[in-house]
Amino acid sequence: MSSDDGDEVKASRDLRDGRANAKVQETIGRSLKAHYNDLVHAPIPDKFLELLARLELKEQRTPAQESDDERR
Amino acid sequence: MSADSFKDALIAEIPNLRAFAASLSGSVTLADDVVQDTLLRAWSNSDKFQEGTNLRAWLFTILRNTYYSHYRKRAREVQDTDGMYAGRLAVAGDQVSHLELADFRKALAKLPPEQREALTMIGATGLSYEEAAEICGVAIGTIKSRLNRARTKLAELLSAEGLEGTRWEARVSEARSDRSDER
Repeated sequence: MSSDDGDEVKASRDLRDGRANAKVQETIGRSLKAHYNDLVHAPIPDKFLELLARLELKEQRTPAQESDDERR
Repeated sequence: MSADSFKDALIAEIPNLRAFAASLSGSVTLADDVVQDTLLRAWSNSDKFQEGTNLRAWLFTILRNTYYSHYRKRAREVQDTDGMYAGRLAVAGDQVSHLELADFRKALAKLPPEQREALTMIGATGLSYEEAAEICGVAIGTIKSRLNRARTKLAELLSAEGLEGTRWEARVSEARSDRSDER
C-alpha cells in the first residue's frame, strides 16, 4: 500500500479490486458447481447396488452378525 | 429406520459420496473404492445413525475418515497422472467449457486437502458451515478460514501462467479491464 495515496484514491482502488475479485470468485463458484455436478450426474455403477442388495439379504438371513465379513 | 429404507437412503446418497470422494482424491477410480468402503462401514454402523439427522453429513464423516486413514497415500500417487477424471467430462455444465473445467480441476488438485474439502462441502454439496465443521472435527471459524484460503489460492492458480489454455487468464484480464474502464 503506497503512502502517497489519499484515502479516497485507496477506497476507490479497493472497490475496483473488490469488484474484479468478486468476478473471479463468481467464476470459481460456477466452475466448482460444474465440477461437482458433472460427478454427481454420473450413473450409479451396478456394483454399489449389488453390494447393498447383498448386505441386505445377508442381514435378513443372519440379523445378528452382519458385521465385517463383506470386507474380505 | 428399517433396513430397506436405510438402504434406499444410502443409494440416494451414492452420487454425492462419489462426487465428494472424487473431489477429495482427484481420482474417479479411487473414489469408487472409497465409496464402497464407506457403504460397508455405514451399513455395519447403521445403528449409530440417529434418525432425523443429516444422513449426508453422517456419511461424509465416514467417507472422510475412510479416505484419510486408508486412501490418502494412494491418492497422492494417482493424482498427478493424466487419468484423473478421465472420461468424466461428458456432462459438463452448460455454463462452463470443458477446457475451463479441466483447468479448474487441475487447480483444485493443487489445493491442500483440508482446503479442498472445505471448498467442496460449502461450495458444492449444500452442507452448512456447522455440518462441515462437525464432519472435519474443527471449529466453524476454521472452516471459514480454509474456505477463504482455498478461494484465494484458486484465484492465484487460475490466473497464473502454467495452466494450459488461456480462458481463465482471459477472464481474469477481462475483470481487470473492467477495472480500467471505471477509471
